[in-house]
Amino acid sequence: MYALKLLSAFFKVNVQMALAYRADTIVNILLNLMWLGWELLSLSIIFSNTETLGGWGIGELIALLGVFRLVNTLMIALIWPNTEKFNQSIRDGSMDYTILQPVNSMFLVTFSRITVWRIWDLVLAVILIVIGINMSGDVTSPLQILTFVLLAITGTIVIYSLWIILIALTFWFTKFDNNVTILQALMDAGRYPVTVYPVWLRVIVTFIIPIAVATTIPLQALRGELVSGQVLMYIAISIVSFLVASIVWKAGLKRYSGASS
Amino acid sequence: MFLIIKRLWQVNWAEQWQYRANLIMYLLYWLVSPIIYLAVWTSIANVKGEVNGFTANDFITYYMVLLIVDQITSNIIIHTFAYKIQDGSLSGELIKPIHPMLTNALVNNVAFKMLTIMGLVPIWIILFFLYKPDFSSVSLVGILLAIPAMLLAFFIGYLFSAAITSLAFWTTRVYSIHEFYFALILLFSGQFVPLTLMPQIIQDIAQYLPFQLLIYYPIQLILGRLSVEQIIHGYVMSFVWLGVALLFFNWVWRNGVKRYSAVGA
Repeated sequence: MYALKLLSAFFKVNVQMALAYRADTIVNILLNLMWLGWELLSLSIIFSNTETLGGWGIGELIALLGVFRLVNTLMIALIWPNTEKFNQSIRDGSMDYTILQPVNSMFLVTFSRITVWRIWDLVLAVILIVIGINMSGDVTSPLQILTFVLLAITGTIVIYSLWIILIALTFWFTKFDNNVTILQALMDAGRYPVTVYPVWLRVIVTFIIPIAVATTIPLQALRGELVSGQVLMYIAISIVSFLVASIVWKAGLKRYSGASS
Repeated sequence: MFLIIKRLWQVNWAEQWQYRANLIMYLLYWLVSPIIYLAVWTSIANVKGEVNGFTANDFITYYMVLLIVDQITSNIIIHTFAYKIQDGSLSGELIKPIHPMLTNALVNNVAFKMLTIMGLVPIWIILFFLYKPDFSSVSLVGILLAIPAMLLAFFIGYLFSAAITSLAFWTTRVYSIHEFYFALILLFSGQFVPLTLMPQIIQDIAQYLPFQLLIYYPIQLILGRLSVEQIIHGYVMSFVWLGVALLFFNWVWRNGVKRYSAVGA
């Protein structure tokens, strides 16, 4: 409950910050629509030349675009702004104040900045998923939808854990500003089903920087391609990766010595 | 002048070298989307045999050449300069008798480019062995023709980006404007897909814009796909756009500096 209270406080502060820059917010929403237009155009260019991509039809790719945008929103609304703040706090030593708070430092580092207007992007993503599934003509049962939601959450946890590990590395290499660039860079691989990629790239985006775990795999659940054993495995992976991330975070914190001391 | 450039080079090279870990990250970031497009289109071409006359090998060679061309013709001036206008640290450079954008920032960009190209070489070789492309259509003449074209393209792109960066004298939203500019490049330069696969209307508009000179035209030159007439046309267009870019940049810069009142002054 305490965490929820904190969250709503963070949220309020961030809404106020966003309201202070209204024109920026509007410009950003317009740019966001522009990119959506580009994404749909690029899909239509691809599908004017082929009927299926890696065995998936255009409806399924639109749904995948929706899932991709869900994860991408997480990146842009939470991960980017908080990473920026975190890197800054390592360099100037203001991390001291974060550690001094009587709250879990990982929690504080994750949620203190939220790009609020991005929430509308989540709505857009859900619309894309619904339209895409309807277009694809896949029959989906409530159970499939449930596993889809579950796997989307576990995939998100895996990416979140990776992020924590990446920023925790900053404790060891102080000047490591692009710590999440690799995550953001490979993010783009989530736009297309991993089945189109050559094996080496598939291995990278599934096991090393597991973007596909949050994009392709939930959608595979929706298409009814996964067996229950696989679903359990992904749940287990997400729990393990979260535990590993917390351990790395704690080890990193011990290395932190403040900027001025 | 030569001495100044030499000194600027030493400073900027040392500065970029200091951030080599960041540089590798940038390089990865920038590498990913061409490699993804490459994977998507070769997978389609492999299934269908060919896409609109493009075989899998055509796509592989296109994107592998694109990696080099884009690296040479692109620039990062918005990221290295806009903040100087916004936080006022430009003042120190303005009192020097050399143009901040056309000397220091330019040398900085070239130093950055040299280092990223050094990083690109091993990756490119790995990709070469992964995909085993057939580069038989590439000739020495094509490469020699493409080098001046890429230099021109770099300066065209640099001047346009510099002009957009200079909009920071007026507005703080220069990054949003740049994002829009970047979308235009994506749409009209052939970065996403060879231009001939784009919808007809986009191809028609692209003819009248400078963006295809940045990527599509040099690639076609290197791959030996252009007739003599098209080569000449491309060069003429390059010089015209270079002139336009120069005038445009000069105008924005002059008016911008007049408006500049350093933060904190």
